[in-house]
Amino acid sequence: MLRGLYTAAAGMITEQRRHDIVTNNIANLNTPGYKAMDAVNRAFPEMLVSAMGGENPPAGPLGSFNLGVFAEENLLRMAQGDLHQTYRNQDLAIVSDIQVNGAVFDASGKYVDAAGNVVYQPQAFFTVAGPDGRPRYTRDGSFRTAADGTLTTENGDPVLGADGNPLVVNEPWDTISVAADGSLLDAATGAPLPGNPRLMLTRVDNPNLLLREGNGLFRYTGAPAGIRQVQPGDRVEVRQGYLEGSNVDPAQSMVDLMTALRAYEANQQVIQFYDKSLDKAVNEVGRV
Amino acid sequence: MNNSIAAAAASVAALQQKLDLLANNIANADTVGYKRKTSVFEDLLTSLQPQENAFNQPGRRTPIGFTQGWGARLAGMQIDLSQGSLQPTGNPTDLAIEGNGLFEVRTTGDLAGPPAYTRHGDFALVPTGNGDRILVTNSGQPVIGQVNGVDDFIYVPDGYEMKISEDGTILAYNADGSDVQDLGKLKVVQVTKPDLLQEIGDNLYGVPANVNPADVVQTAVLSANGGGGLSVRQGFLESSNVNLTDEITDLVSVQRAYQLSARALSSADQMMQMAANLRG
Repeated sequence: MLRGLYTAAAGMITEQRRHDIVTNNIANLNTPGYKAMDAVNRAFPEMLVSAMGGENPPAGPLGSFNLGVFAEENLLRMAQGDLHQTYRNQDLAIVSDIQVNGAVFDASGKYVDAAGNVVYQPQAFFTVAGPDGRPRYTRDGSFRTAADGTLTTENGDPVLGADGNPLVVNEPWDTISVAADGSLLDAATGAPLPGNPRLMLTRVDNPNLLLREGNGLFRYTGAPAGIRQVQPGDRVEVRQGYLEGSNVDPAQSMVDLMTALRAYEANQQVIQFYDKSLDKAVNEVGRV
Repeated sequence: MNNSIAAAAASVAALQQKLDLLANNIANADTVGYKRKTSVFEDLLTSLQPQENAFNQPGRRTPIGFTQGWGARLAGMQIDLSQGSLQPTGNPTDLAIEGNGLFEVRTTGDLAGPPAYTRHGDFALVPTGNGDRILVTNSGQPVIGQVNGVDDFIYVPDGYEMKISEDGTILAYNADGSDVQDLGKLKVVQVTKPDLLQEIGDNLYGVPANVNPADVVQTAVLSANGGGGLSVRQGFLESSNVNLTDEITDLVSVQRAYQLSARALSSADQMMQMAANLRG
């Protein structure tokens, strides 16, 4: 079979994957705390080709080319989403702008220094107990209260306090105010509530090592050294009465959708041309 | 291929539900004591496509595996209990609560039955046939008051006028003001966990069967002159807390999100058509 047939088929599959990712971004245009994903393509490893047969075949390889492309990974775009005011006391939003010595991060949260070392901007998250008891992380701050007073996500997962236990609050939430560092205070007096409850805010040094699980939760898959609680010097704030919107850009998503579709179509045309060539080879050249 | 269509279809369904919620809010923009509902979206489960270790090429940033999302859903609906504005009506059976509180009623005429709560203070006095009148909501549910801390219905004798002060004390005056009867206090409850209130129709709220009402509401102690932020106003009605500007703005953004998802759906459909037409 002609090599190019498989290359074009690989191209179609890859553009299909990219289209799927962009569609998921568009579907989550209004999901609070959603971070857009970008698909990254990679070419197959290169192969050397050489001429064979004929009268005077040139010695050595002619050159190399890639035999296809595949969708390699899905990168999280961790840009801060806009804050929407909801006036609901249990809605919390994180504004995170953690600085690292001497790094000026670009829009995608990456910095490359003069020596070529890559540094990613750390991000802050709320900490939530996952279904298996291990912590999960989220930026979706639309919390609710269960019957026993535990603060939970919309899905029922308990939100953890700074001591690692689920946060239990028995006062009505309209009397509670949340300070910028996550501590819960009495709204009237400004004094901390009994027991000094405070939300656990987690700082993840390399957000690329977070795996999205759905329902707004992320799981950390990196080394334990790269994750810790937010310290007072980090530029992280919790705002009460606000929700962080999704950071999906609808115009860019539409453009990505169109380019994926047209690239898919271009690959489809290539396959059809190969089909015509094979048609000639089978039906005309080989005619008896 | 199916991933795009499934994600776009799920998102369109969720947006439809949100549209229904907004329409319900707008329809009740004039209902006395109506509290608007809000909702949030959440992304659906994400599946991890397994990748072999050979995929760990230099320059790769994320762990092995390709994550794929499946769209969004409407995660939960919340009741927004913020205060609506008070409209004076002058009608002595119209009551309004100022602050975080609800009236308590019984849905059947049985004092021992399950309680329901409401802000719809458009009450009426209905004759019982025993020489007095009972205070009911305009759908017929009797209102609860407290006499010495015990729940009871509120009966006003014929020929007497009911006067309710700001701390909920109910007094009945006869025509020439010579006889004053103390009918107890109107029961007002404070909501500690608004997330657990459920709408049960007729503008009433209830508590789910498996939840103890004491966890969700507690009896409020009102002080005279409305101190403590909670007071009962006779002759006023509380209008709905729906702000039409906010609802219409949400409507516009939901419509645009719907349009974008529908566009993604038709783009996926075009791709499927191209695959189907590969061979003529």
